Amino acid sequence: VPETLIKEADPLLSSGAHSRAILNILADLTDDQAWMHDTHKAVVNVLSDFSEEKDRLQLTQRAVLNFLQDVEDERAQRERAEAEVRQINANLEERVTQRTLQLESANKELEGFSYSVAHDLRTPLRAIQGFSRILKEDHAESLDDEALPLLGIIVDATNKMSQLIDDMLAFSRIGRLGITLRQINMRELVDGVVAELTREATATTLELGSLANAFGDTGTIRQVWVNLLGNAVKYSSKNDNPVVQIDSNIEQNEIIYRIKDNGVGFDMQYAHKLFGVFQRLHGADEFSGTGIGLAIVKRIVERHRGRVWAESVVGKGSTFYFTLPSGTSQ
Amino acid sequence: MNKKLLAAVVLMVEDSATDAELCIRTLKKQGLANNIVWVKDGAEALEYLFRTDSDDQARELPKLVLLDLHLPKVSGLEVLHKIKTNDRTKLVPVVILTSSKEDRDIIEGYNLGVNSYLSKPVAFEDFITTVTQMGLYWLVVNHSPLHEAGTPDDTQHAT
Repeated sequence: VPETLIKEADPLLSSGAHSRAILNILADLTDDQAWMHDTHKAVVNVLSDFSEEKDRLQLTQRAVLNFLQDVEDERAQRERAEAEVRQINANLEERVTQRTLQLESANKELEGFSYSVAHDLRTPLRAIQGFSRILKEDHAESLDDEALPLLGIIVDATNKMSQLIDDMLAFSRIGRLGITLRQINMRELVDGVVAELTREATATTLELGSLANAFGDTGTIRQVWVNLLGNAVKYSSKNDNPVVQIDSNIEQNEIIYRIKDNGVGFDMQYAHKLFGVFQRLHGADEFSGTGIGLAIVKRIVERHRGRVWAESVVGKGSTFYFTLPSGTSQ
Repeated sequence: MNKKLLAAVVLMVEDSATDAELCIRTLKKQGLANNIVWVKDGAEALEYLFRTDSDDQARELPKLVLLDLHLPKVSGLEVLHKIKTNDRTKLVPVVILTSSKEDRDIIEGYNLGVNSYLSKPVAFEDFITTVTQMGLYWLVVNHSPLHEAGTPDDTQHAT
């Protein structure tokens, strides 16, 4: 276009004085056109850049959206998992509640059982014993010498049975008793038990070593000592010089109490029977008792989260151990 | 024992025939009570204590109630509750005589206002001692608000 413009303007250019100026304008126009062209190109380039940028942005946006979707998925999944955990917990809780109720009702039943044992079994016993005695007192002349001692056997048997019932009830009561944990001055407690025992068993020497204090229920722990020391005295009573040694040892997180006697001892192969209800390793004619004492000991100690065991050599004596947790955390 | 003592009614609420017989035998042998009315369950006991006679006169109250706890129909504790919440009967001494040595029975008995709680020993000598001491205390030593001066004890008859 500038070529034609110049040719058309030629006569003007050659005839006038303004030719120079016009030429300059034309030259400027040409420059402008070139500039426009460049600018256009630049704009096109920029637009193209924009477009590419837009594509990239779109890609980025898609990535971000995907990412957000992933996050959302994960959240949903976590919520599902949490709901599942909650459900499991709820089920567990329900099962615990149910089991607790079952245990409570079983406990109630047992309680009712021991209660009726207390009442219903004693009444016929009292009748057997009472009327045997009345027979003996009021009708002795019509009974011969053989018959009278038989009545004595009946009376003895009813007394034994009555003792068994009392022991069984004492044992079941331990399970029902609430235990209150407080600091026990063990030395003082054992001193008291020893004083009581030596009043009856004067022949026995009871040697007290150091005794660590523990947390426990004073009443029932006292029962543990009464039973264990009572046994030690009883089963060493046939020794000419009976000695019972008592002390304690503090281990990592428990206190081990030890009661050692030089009595008849027992055969270790029967050790597992030692703490069973009404289990006896000696005949009633040898040593008296119904076999409830150690069962009560085990029950009390285990309610305190302790352990109890024994070691023995026949004829040399026995050593009984029980532990109580140390520290105040219990 | 004097005539007045032997004429006083002791109401014994006891479902076991053997326990009742041992108890009656002991009280009679010791000369503590001759006029023992024995009922076998709580309903009979309430009937005895609260029934009015044909002429609408309330029956003479017993001098002592011996009460077992485990009874058919109406329990001993229910009988005790009725006796101790009724204005006419609340002053009658009630002694629980039962096989139970359970703390909850003892506590519940005293909560309801029982005058004494005794458990029946199985051993014969102990049983006789317990019943004799109980009879001596409540029928001889103790002053009861009923059956004191002015009450015509010796006019009553056992059913």
